[in-house]
Amino acid sequence: MIVDDEWKSSIVSSVRKRLDQEGWKTHVVAPDGGLSIGEEFQAAALYTIEEVRPDGVILDVRFGEQMDDRFKGLSILRKILERFPGLPVLMYTQYAQGPERETAVRGSLNWDAPVDFIDKLASPEEVVLRMRRLFGSTPEIISIGGRLSLDARAKIVYVVIGDELRPVEDIIGMKFEILRELAATWYRSPGELVQFSRLERYSEGEDARASLRVRIREIKDAIGNALGVHFGASDLIINVRDRGYRLIPPKS
Amino acid sequence: MANRQRLLKLARIACGIVVLLGVIVMLASFRFGVLFSEKLWGVEPLAYLAGVVTMAALGFIWGTYVLQSRATQHGYHLNGFDSSLENWTKLTKQYFELYHHDLGRPLTRILAKERELRAVLARTGGNADPGVSELLDEIERQAPNFRLMLANIQVLVELEAPRKPDDVHPVEPAQVVRRIVDRYAGVVAEAGKEITWWSEPSEFGMVYSDPSAIEHIITNLIDNASKYATEHIEVRLTKDESHFYIRVWDDGPGIAPHHVPHIFDRGWTPEVSRRDEKTSSGLGLFIARTLAARNGGDITVESVTAPDPDHHTAFVASFSL
Repeated sequence: MIVDDEWKSSIVSSVRKRLDQEGWKTHVVAPDGGLSIGEEFQAAALYTIEEVRPDGVILDVRFGEQMDDRFKGLSILRKILERFPGLPVLMYTQYAQGPERETAVRGSLNWDAPVDFIDKLASPEEVVLRMRRLFGSTPEIISIGGRLSLDARAKIVYVVIGDELRPVEDIIGMKFEILRELAATWYRSPGELVQFSRLERYSEGEDARASLRVRIREIKDAIGNALGVHFGASDLIINVRDRGYRLIPPKS
Repeated sequence: MANRQRLLKLARIACGIVVLLGVIVMLASFRFGVLFSEKLWGVEPLAYLAGVVTMAALGFIWGTYVLQSRATQHGYHLNGFDSSLENWTKLTKQYFELYHHDLGRPLTRILAKERELRAVLARTGGNADPGVSELLDEIERQAPNFRLMLANIQVLVELEAPRKPDDVHPVEPAQVVRRIVDRYAGVVAEAGKEITWWSEPSEFGMVYSDPSAIEHIITNLIDNASKYATEHIEVRLTKDESHFYIRVWDDGPGIAPHHVPHIFDRGWTPEVSRRDEKTSSGLGLFIARTLAARNGGDITVESVTAPDPDHHTAFVASFSL
């Protein structure tokens, strides 16, 4: 759910587009005009949460140009947290760079309140990543860059060829678990390294590191064959300075 | 400081009441004082007494105003607090906040249009003129710079302010690093570089610190690394019994040993030593180290220069746990 008085602006629509690509259905709160725009947005936001029961809210801080509404979003946030504790809220604001204010607001909330702040200069990709982390859980199907998909429940990896999903049959057992671990980390934080210690439990033999290296090579070969490409050392799964591995989505 | 001001105000009000009572006593003594000591003086002693007390109270009030006015002129309050500086900082912050919104809004709109255009190009096959693509890339590349510039101006204003008590909150350093890496990942990838981060232990947990200061320090270090890295930037979060450390490493050409002592100087850039025109403000590392010091931390640097095959630069920010 998006609550922003500039909901028709390009910046909000570019975020909406990215959220749609993510597979999240967006609902924009747009009340009819009135005298006190902030109050109207507050009422409309609370009513819509009650009606729509969204999984998360993206909430502007400033509503209109009236002095009273400069920080209206913060009072809407408090109302949301009072009535719907646990509902993730991403404060989407021009003021995120005001560290004192952000710190003050954070300090006034419960330490575990699912609230985060992001400024409007952030890319839609950053907004999506923040929302993913606010939601906290990793979905059962992770789409990796449009050419690869991992179904954690069915334990199947697919490659996307045109509009078709083709299973990669060689990635099963430990190899699937390694890829699942890398994909889950990438989903939450694309730049994060998965250290060897976390992956070595999916390897066998005396030399766990060597066994892991072989499995990674096999994963890359299996996906490469399914996509008809060759993945080198700096593609798909990269070894970062011998500390661990990181997933890089295959280029479209 | 607010308490002292309140006490001073109360003292002035008390003195005002004393003056009022003194005047009443002086006037009343002429009428009633004679009943008590008619033969002592021509004017009743009560009137003298009231006169002295009244003068003393008036003197006290006058004295506090004179002292305060002098203190303000010289930049100090009665309690030694730097008031003119504080007022200046408040005013500057107010001005900055006013313009922050107005500065951010046009850039937000430009960015939105750029992203919209990029999406249209991608949908329609993307055969745009190379000049158009370069323009779109340039706008996107400048976005983190602009965000950092706005934040740096704000922090510079705050650094001028008198020291405030430590503002510590529970903070997850891994979350802070994650947010900054998210911000730079796109720009770094477009420049053909990689940014990777990790923490040891992988579940790093929470510390008590100033979250906005940490975010600002690490943003400046990563921004710096993203400019100088050849291919890779790494951010590593570690801790021991007393401190936690954030190490920002890049595989750039390294910092010449004779430049190392100056890199944290305010406004210093490598161009300064060559007497060339500066290409950046030279404030990022100065701000980072000053903020770290203010939060009981430090930043150290270690660098190996090319042509050594292991050329790199690593900044380590350390904070107490």
